[in-house]
This record gives sequence, structure tokens and C-alpha cells, in this order.
Amino acid sequence: MTFSLVGKQSAGRGIILKVLTIHPELKGVQKKVSKKRWLASTLSLIMVLALVLTACSGKKEAGNSNSGASGSSPTSNSSDSGGDSGGAAQDKVTFTMFVAVQGEKDVNTNETVIGKKLEEQTGVNFKIEHLVGDLQTKIGTMIASNDYPDVLVPDDGIENVIEAGGFIDLTPYIDNDKYPNIKKVYGPYKNLMKWDDGKIYIFPFSTVVGEFVPDPNIGQGAFWVQRRVLEWAGYPKIKTVDEYFKVLEDFINAHPDEDLIGFVTLTDDWRFFATTNVPNHLAGYPNDGEVMVDMQTHEAKIYAGTEWEYRWFKKLNEINAKGMFDKQSFVDNYDQYIAKLTSHKVLGFFDYGWQVGTANNALRDAALADPSLDGYRYFPLPVVFDENIKDQYLDPPGYVANRGFGITSSAKDPERIIAFIDTLLSEENQILVKWGIEGETYLRDENGRMYRTKEMVDKMTQKFNEDYGFTVFDWDWPHYGTNSTLSDGNAASPGLQPEVFQMTLTDADKKILSAYGVQTYAEMFADPDERPWYPAWGFAKDEPRQLFEQQKSDLQRNHIPKLVLSKPEEFDKAWDEYTKALGKLDVQGYEQWFTQKVKEVVANAQK
Amino acid sequence: MDNNNVLTGVSVAAEKKPRGLKRFFKLLYQQRALVLMSVPFVIWLFIFRYLPIWGWTIGFQNFKPAKSFWEQEWVGFYHFEFLFGDERFLRVLRNTLVMSTINLVLGFVTAITLALLLNEVRHLVFKRVVQTVSYLPHFLSWVVAAGIIRVTLAPDGIINELLMRLHLIDEELLFLGIGEWFWGIYGASIVWKDVGWNTIVYLAAITMIDPTLYEAAEIDGAGRFRKIWHITLPGIRPVITVLLIMNIGYLLESGFEPQYLLGNGMNMDYSENLDIFVLKYGINQFNYSLSVAASIFKTVVSFILLFAANNLAKRMGETRLY
Repeated sequence: MTFSLVGKQSAGRGIILKVLTIHPELKGVQKKVSKKRWLASTLSLIMVLALVLTACSGKKEAGNSNSGASGSSPTSNSSDSGGDSGGAAQDKVTFTMFVAVQGEKDVNTNETVIGKKLEEQTGVNFKIEHLVGDLQTKIGTMIASNDYPDVLVPDDGIENVIEAGGFIDLTPYIDNDKYPNIKKVYGPYKNLMKWDDGKIYIFPFSTVVGEFVPDPNIGQGAFWVQRRVLEWAGYPKIKTVDEYFKVLEDFINAHPDEDLIGFVTLTDDWRFFATTNVPNHLAGYPNDGEVMVDMQTHEAKIYAGTEWEYRWFKKLNEINAKGMFDKQSFVDNYDQYIAKLTSHKVLGFFDYGWQVGTANNALRDAALADPSLDGYRYFPLPVVFDENIKDQYLDPPGYVANRGFGITSSAKDPERIIAFIDTLLSEENQILVKWGIEGETYLRDENGRMYRTKEMVDKMTQKFNEDYGFTVFDWDWPHYGTNSTLSDGNAASPGLQPEVFQMTLTDADKKILSAYGVQTYAEMFADPDERPWYPAWGFAKDEPRQLFEQQKSDLQRNHIPKLVLSKPEEFDKAWDEYTKALGKLDVQGYEQWFTQKVKEVVANAQK
Repeated sequence: MDNNNVLTGVSVAAEKKPRGLKRFFKLLYQQRALVLMSVPFVIWLFIFRYLPIWGWTIGFQNFKPAKSFWEQEWVGFYHFEFLFGDERFLRVLRNTLVMSTINLVLGFVTAITLALLLNEVRHLVFKRVVQTVSYLPHFLSWVVAAGIIRVTLAPDGIINELLMRLHLIDEELLFLGIGEWFWGIYGASIVWKDVGWNTIVYLAAITMIDPTLYEAAEIDGAGRFRKIWHITLPGIRPVITVLLIMNIGYLLESGFEPQYLLGNGMNMDYSENLDIFVLKYGINQFNYSLSVAASIFKTVVSFILLFAANNLAKRMGETRLY
């Protein structure tokens, strides 16, 4: 880019030099010289040469280090890789992997306990790097230079990498008897995995193997409320949005001195959907992104600007007029939002469980140390508009098409990587990466049910999980999707195993759950209906759709605060302005595109 | 360094007056050391400042990375049309110009005033302390600075607290939520952050002024303000003019970080500038062509502004860039 953000400073410096050179005293210095002329010119020549040399050698070094990381092994075994001799007999090899997610540690897989075991089986080590800074810039640089790591998990950048031809076609490996484990996991999904051009480029992360096990925790959307509010109100049944805010209001009125905040909402940057998605959930739809998909006709309609959205923002407007809404929600960033949730002052909010994990964990840790603080933790509720709406907060068994693990066109030895993946996807290795090693991180009872003891759960801190490799292998690899079951009926993910879940519950957790007559948080919510297209936000979008989403989100960013903060009598005027602005966007094209995609997916799933 | 040689070279040339290429090469040979010394910089300039202009072609394509130049789809002025056709573009342009004008005017006035005041301070320790304190915020990253500003202006922040205590307002104000106020907040923030830093160059220029001028003025009975007005200010006028000309060239660069970090949905009508627009609709959408089109626009406008300002300075008989 040619934008110079620091231009001004450098300009300033130039001026200082200029002032100095004009000044007369300095001229005296220049009078000697003449013999040193040749020295000067030689020096300048050397500088030129040095410049040229560094430019060239830079390239060379990069090339060297690339091949140096893997040694000579790829060339030597690419000839015999067709034979798939399998396992430890092969030379050791290191592949590079880039994961476009921030905030995780860079690591060699063989430095972890699990990774070491896998290296013993396959001889393969992965050197993983994570994103630092901006995703678009990093992926853009890779694309522009056509220089990728062996394996890439591009997160949001996936469409662009595929469009640029950065991934190899995986079709020959998916339904291939040579790779029975890949076939077992991905075979049933092979039609869904096809990109627009009919090729398969990525191993997605959400493929379910075996029976579907629901998550007992709420990782997805919910209306959250402080536990003390429920306790104070005598654990009432809360179904509608009116009931929800009534309880909050009563609690605030009963505690006038506490300076409480009724409701906050998250608006920071890309997390803004935590504010815009709400009407969709209240209307009884799961998180399909910007659209609601009709169960019968499979028509996709956006809910922005509809009656549902009108009702929700009208409600927030009312709440604001009562002084219960936190106005600062519209200017706070994510950190401020999380800090607010842990401040004990906020009674309720809507958000996705994974997004407020930091806050919920901090409150949980505090309550573990001091059980009297348990009332400040949040409890998830499936709130809807009307009594007769069935909530659909829980994710249906879904398939996210636009997130995954791909092998790049720069990969040195794709066959070997595929062989590694096949080994990784064997059931015993899936137990290894999810449950760990028997006796160390899990046990089996006489019925073969897997469980963890209290000591095991306690020792599994973040540090332990990193060293052991759980954090390394937990997500960014081809794996049994979170809701999978093993062949013996155990849940593939320990967190979803009822025995493990019960172990993690505190006395206070059990008390509140039993007050509502349930065993798990998920039981508070209705079972998800089957939606083969779910989640629609996971469709790989083309440029006009991406542009529409950006425009829509900008427009909402501007108008939603006005809707919520306006005086109640001015709400309808603000609403008119909002819907008028929305009408100028290509809503129809967006809906048509999604309807068509949904129908394609449904047709594919029925094949 | 080779001043002697240059001078003789010129005089020799003046005597014999050889013509055309011959003269050129002769001069070139005589000044070879100078030429050789400048070669690395010319190469540097060429590689880093001229070669990238080739990238402007991207603005006229529907650029897809990883495709070769010959495979790109050419779309002419499509991206420029999109840019100028978007109703938000005008608003974004307005915000950019207003904020850089604020930046320019406030930046100059406050920095020059502070420099003059500091120059008058005789108490050395006090002067040093003020100088250090005033330029320390410059070294804060904008991320940190924006954090401080957000906290200060929050409904439970110190400003609201103060105004409430003084009974100037009845209800806490959401400063960053009032779009119209964003420019003011922006202006105050950049003054706070950069005023000290900007004084440095003026203080340096002031020290260059011949002290005998002050003595003479004193003998003539000039007071402090007279001295400032008739000696100090004219003394640093060349620096002011040159800086002004250069900064006018940057009028379309109103900065990026403060607007990005302090901006939000409620003030975006006033906070969103050209760079943020390009980030959102160009880079974040992998639409490099649009980004390049915007940057071509910016370069052309800056170029015109720079020449206009320089020309103006020339006519007014002031110091100028070239």
C-alpha cells in the first residue's frame, strides 16, 4: 500500500537537516578532502554492491531455510510414498503449518506429549505458527507471493486462498480405500465438501462421527442473567422477553442503592453480530447469520428491517427509557465489555457462550474460591418473543463449509501429509488427542465408560494442556467433530461426556440446575430441529455478498444506536429512516443468493 | 564534500564552453566522486519510490492476487466510478479534509505558541520540565492514548465527574457517542499528544537566530512582545513556511489510528476518513484494486496541493521547497 501514515514526522526531520546545512559555520568542514575522493567513490560503489547483494541473497536464504527445515527427506521418500509403507520406518520430516487465529502459542507438535506419540507413529512433525496482526494482510501476502506453508488454516481468508489456487484438490483422497480413516470421517460429507467448482479443498472441522451428542454447556447464544436475580425472584420460569426484562426491572427496583446496569450489548468491531443477531433468536431461529431460513420452503429472508427487529429494538428503546440500558454499550470495545460483565453490576445481556468465555470463567474461578460470589455468575436462558415460539438457540447438527484445514500448492509432500491425517483420524489417535492417555488424563470404569477424576480435572490447567498438546490438537486439525461419539458409545469430546460434565459442576451449579429440574444447562433449551443447511453463515460467500454484509453492518452500526437511544415517541421516525436506508441495499440479491445456496445444500444432503 | 572541485569544474566549463554531450561527459567526469556518491541514493529512490508506481495498474484491473499481470481482467475506471459514486465517499472526503485542516491549524498554532512561550522562560529547570512533560505523550502508542481518552470521556470518567460536580450538566454525557463532537475530541487529542513534539523543530530554529539582534532590539527599547513579534517570529518564518507547504501536501492524510480507535457506530458519520473507508471496502474485502484507486486519487490531489502551495509561497516571495 502506498499510504504513508508516518509521513509527517519524516518531513519534519528533513527540515532540521535543511536548516543545518544552510548555516554558514558548517561550510568550513568541506575544505579538506580531494585525496579521499577515491576512498569516497569506492565506498559508494561498495554500498551499491551491498544493496544489490542483500536484495539477492535475501531470496536465496529464504529458499534455503525452506528446504532446510525439512532436510532432504521429502525428495528421498516421495518416490516410495506411493507404497504407503506406513509409520516409523520413514524418515522424520517437519512440515510447516499456519493457523490464522490470534493469541495462541507457536509450537512444534513433537514438543508436546500427544505430538510426540504421533511423531513416533508417523515420523511427522508440524511447526505451527499463528497469526500475529491482521488476517487480511497476512493471507494477502501469502497469496500475492504464492508462497504458502505446507498446511494452512486460513480462517476467514479461505475463499481468497481457494480463488487464488492456493490449495490442492483433495478429492482423490476423500473416498479412497487407501485412507480408511479419512473415508470414515469425511466420506459421508463429500458432497457438502465440494466447492463451487466441484473440487474439495479443505478438511472441515465440524463433521460428526457416530451418534450426535449435545453439548451440556451453552457455547452458543442465550440471554444470560445473574444467578442472584433468579434466586431473589424464586427461580421463576422465564420464557418471553417481557418476562425476562420484568425480572431485571423488579430486581433493580428492589436494590436501588447498588447502581446496577440492567442490560448491556456488545458492539465492538466484527463482534457486532452479538447485537444484530438477537431478533433472529427471539423469533425462534438458530444462528444462520444474516438470514432466517423457512423450514418448509427453504426461502432465506434477512431479518434486518423486519417486524421482528422492530419489536426487539422497540423493547430496547423502552428499556433505555427506563434507564436500564447501558448507553455506553455503543462505544465500549470488547475489553471494556468483558470488564463490565465481571464487575458484578450487569444483570443481563445477550451473547454467545464462546464469546463471553473469559468473563464466565473469571466469575466461575472467583466463585470457586469464595462460594458467596456465585450469585454474580450468569445463567443462560432461552428467551423468545412469545409464549408459543419454540426456541432454537442450540446448534443443530451442522456443517460449516468455510472453515477448515487445507494442503497448499507449496506443500512439499502432500501424500505424506494425507497419510499423517489418516493416522491422526484413527479412533485410538482421536482418543489420544481428545482424552489423552489412559491412566494419566482419563480412566475407564467397568462398563467401559470413560471419565476423569477430580484430581485429573484439577491438574488440567491451561499450562498443562499446552504442554500435553490438548490445546494444539483441539481444533485446527481434521478431527471427529465436537459432537461425535466413539464406536463404544463414549463422547469423543470429554466436555460432552455426562460423567465429566457432572464432575465439573459445583454445589451452587447443582442447586440452580435442580431448581429448574434439569441436569445440564442445555436441557433448559429446546432440542434443535434438523436443518441440513445449518449454519447458513458458513456458506462461502462471493464478492457482492461480502460487500452487502459490510454495507449492512455499517448501516446498522449507525442506525441501531439511534433506534435504541431515541426518545420513545421518536422511535418510529428513526425506524423509518433506518428501513429506508436499508432498502437502498441489494437485499433482494442477497436473499436470492442464500435461498439458492440453501436449496443446493438440501438437495445435496438428500443425495 | 567536493566543493572545491565542483567550483573549478564550473569555471573551467564557463571558459571553454564545449557543447552538448561532450560537455556533459566532461562535467560528469570532473564530478565523478559526487556522482558516484549519489548513485546509491538514486537507486534507492528508484526502487522504493518509482518502481511501486507500476502498481497503479492494479487500480484499473479487477486485480486477483496470484494471477500474472497478463491474466488480469482490465476494467478501466470502474473502481474510480464506484468510489466517486458511493454517497459515503463524499462524506468520508469531507471528514478527511476537515480533520486534517484541524490537525494543520491547531498543530501549527499550538506548537508555535508553546515554542515562543518556552523560549521566553528563563527558569531553566521549569523549561525542561514543561518541555519533557509536553512531549512525552508523543511516545505513547495511539492504542494506549485512545484507551486513556476513552476512559477519561466515559460516563463515569473524570470529565463527566467534573462537569457533574460543577453542576454544568444534569446527566452524564456520552462524549464519543455524539458525532458532532468528534472533531473537537480529535483536535484536543492530537494537540495533547503532539504539541510538545512539534515544538522541537521551532525551538531549534529559534536558537539559530543571531542573539545580537535581540541585544540591538533591547537597546532600541523593545519589550518582550516586540522582540517576539519583530525578531523571533520573522526568524523562524522560513521554517514555518516550508513545514506548511509540506503539510499541505499531506492534507488527504488525516491520520488513521485516532479515528479508527476512537470511532464507533454513533460517530462514524464524522469519524470515518478515507483511510478507514479504504480499509473497510478495499483491503478487508480483498479488493486491492479499490484501495489502489483511492490511493491514486490521494496522490494526485496531494501533488496538486503541494505544487499550489509552493507556487503561492514563490509568489509571496517566501522560502519554498524548490
